[in-house]
Amino acid sequence: MTSLRKLGESYSFIIPSLIFTVVLGIYPILWAIRYMFYSYPGYGEEVFIGFGNFAALMRDEAYWNSVVNTAIYASGKIIITIPLSLVLAVILNKGLKGKNFLRAIYFMPTVLSTAVISIVFFNIFNSYNGIINQFLMKYHIVSKGIDWLGPDMAMFTSIIVAIWGAIGNYMLLFLAGLQSIPDDVYESASLDGANARQKFVYITVPMLGPVLQMIIMLAITISLKGYESIMVLTEGGPIGRTEVMYLYVYRMFFPISSSSTMIQQIGYGSAVGFMSAVIVGLITIGYFWISKRLNRIF
Amino acid sequence: MFNKMNKTSMLTVSTILALTLSACSSGGGNTTNSPKGTNETSPQSTNAAVNEGTSDAPKVKLNYWTEDRHDLAYIQEVVQRFNETNKNNIEVEVKGLSENYNQSVDIAFSSKQAPDIIRTTPSNFIPFVKKGYLEPLNGYMNAEMDAKFGGALIDKSNMMDGQIYSLPNYGYSSRLIYNVDLFEKAGIAGPPTTLDEMVETAKKLTEAGQDTGAYGFAINFKGADNSFEKAPRSIAELSGVGGYGYDFKTGKYDFSGFADIMTAFKQMKDDGSMLPGVEAMDIDPLRAQFAEGKIGMYLSISAETNVYLEQFPAKINWAAALPPTINGEIKGVAGYWKTGPWLSISSQTKHKEEAWQFLDYMYSDEVLQKYYEGGYGLSLLPDIIAKSKTPEVPGIEGFLPTENDGIWPISPKVTVDGTDFSNLFIKYTISGGDLDKMIEDVNARYNVALDKARASGDVTTEAMPDFDAKSMQGMLTK
Repeated sequence: MTSLRKLGESYSFIIPSLIFTVVLGIYPILWAIRYMFYSYPGYGEEVFIGFGNFAALMRDEAYWNSVVNTAIYASGKIIITIPLSLVLAVILNKGLKGKNFLRAIYFMPTVLSTAVISIVFFNIFNSYNGIINQFLMKYHIVSKGIDWLGPDMAMFTSIIVAIWGAIGNYMLLFLAGLQSIPDDVYESASLDGANARQKFVYITVPMLGPVLQMIIMLAITISLKGYESIMVLTEGGPIGRTEVMYLYVYRMFFPISSSSTMIQQIGYGSAVGFMSAVIVGLITIGYFWISKRLNRIF
Repeated sequence: MFNKMNKTSMLTVSTILALTLSACSSGGGNTTNSPKGTNETSPQSTNAAVNEGTSDAPKVKLNYWTEDRHDLAYIQEVVQRFNETNKNNIEVEVKGLSENYNQSVDIAFSSKQAPDIIRTTPSNFIPFVKKGYLEPLNGYMNAEMDAKFGGALIDKSNMMDGQIYSLPNYGYSSRLIYNVDLFEKAGIAGPPTTLDEMVETAKKLTEAGQDTGAYGFAINFKGADNSFEKAPRSIAELSGVGGYGYDFKTGKYDFSGFADIMTAFKQMKDDGSMLPGVEAMDIDPLRAQFAEGKIGMYLSISAETNVYLEQFPAKINWAAALPPTINGEIKGVAGYWKTGPWLSISSQTKHKEEAWQFLDYMYSDEVLQKYYEGGYGLSLLPDIIAKSKTPEVPGIEGFLPTENDGIWPISPKVTVDGTDFSNLFIKYTISGGDLDKMIEDVNARYNVALDKARASGDVTTEAMPDFDAKSMQGMLTK
């Protein structure tokens, strides 16, 4: 009887979170899976069209352009952010004066709202009165303002903003990893005559392996799904140069413009969302596979 | 402490908390603050209580949701007057929602907490009617109302299938807005009236503005649809071309009328006459730059008057004129923006009669005239304009309705595979391409989508072989 009551008490703790998971997690996914096979603008009749949405998706150049842009955006962000945050973490792990202050400075962007960061960077980078262009022209580094958010530079600028926003987070994870490496290992290496570079390459990096694996996986999934910063900075423009997958999905459900030409497309949006999730899933599985193989080799 | 608390007391506290929280929710207009300050469920209004008009009768509380911010102070003022003067114990509460208005309305309806009065806009009118949110007003309107609004009602904007869901109040005229000081500096007599003149003027203004960093033309390409609606659309419509590419005569899409317009925009970009950074520019930064004197001209709507009065006080002399046309010939009307519906009654409200009494007040001459005179929007009713004083807003003169202003019929909404026309044309302006091929492609895709929408019954608009854009001239003036 007592064990039954204990069991009941345990379930009473689980049930609230179970309800939230079902209502806010599982139900919306099932809801979206159903609508993938319908033409439905959010009102009126739901028309069953089978794989019609997927057939349209295969022909949708704008979507596939957004997939390419996502690949550029994510790889640009990951390739720069991870080594940079590792170097920062190693520097700030040493007995520097004011290291806690510097750690806080680098971590600061992580606690700021993405929208706020993007608005600030918009003001820094805009062509007509942006701070960077004003600086460059004042000191005659350039004669004409650079079009940072124009078709040629917008992706580069978006990546810079993304790096700035993410670096502190990964730095913190690396710092935690660095602090788990015993000092004895470094001391032994010093006795063997290893220099700082050798210690970094042959001790720090290999011993950070598990942390590095986790950080890369996090970075891949977050970068592939990220769109908030781009939405505020460029709205996916100009001319689709910074349109990324999940911004495209967002537009289908919540047209950004209130223009009378925009239509909500719940059915198509669900199909696009599903395809995007499959792409992110496949890339993550691919990374896991490579990562396991590398584990075996090294 | 929790250990000591017995189960009965925990249950009691939880019940009280739950009841308190549910009482605090908005409750779809069924709850109201009683004079004692406690939240109580208001009894259903009875006609007897309403007709008695006594202050002892329970108040009927109506919720009124709007997404408009520009007129909120005035709306609150007139609503307060209604609350103080109506004899039927009706109290209206206005709620201004600026973000995600349509989604908020959706959630309110699905949770049976819909507002009683809803501000409807051109972009949400058809979805709201199709979702069954709006109450038809035909049964409430008397002969006087029919006469007052009948001529201003637009199909699929105020009416659907013969039922009226919202009456019109105001809209915004489309204009070319220009920097008078820069025009004088460049020695240009007046605003351009043709596309060629616009391109030439932009070039001259850029030359004249070299020393101050001013450019001839600007457009907010960041919001592709918004910029397209305000600029190329207004030129097309004044030239007699459907602003959304739909040809009302043939009942098909034909974007070829935009070829000259987009060529002119591209020319200005190639000439270096456009402000650098227009590709990523939103409307507010554009306005800020215009107020600083960095832009010679741009196309926008009559809302700009209040912007340069309050938001970005203009440091220059500026004026507004009709947009240019393709070749100088006015073959249509400059289409008003955000016109058509205004207020609607919720189909879910339990107080339809009272909601109509409020609408009757809001659509009275007194409220509409002061709305127009206050410069919140240009009235769509020529009678109201005729009775009213000219709004005392600096710069409004150039925006006042002329015989060349009007409201175009509503173009069908279709879901198109691939890039929409506004983004495609902006792409051409920024990076070029084969415009003829682009137009051929966009025509084909839009007409396939239109055929599909007609076959499914989503679009019922048919060809109007007798349609003449010129016949709309004078519809907003007396």
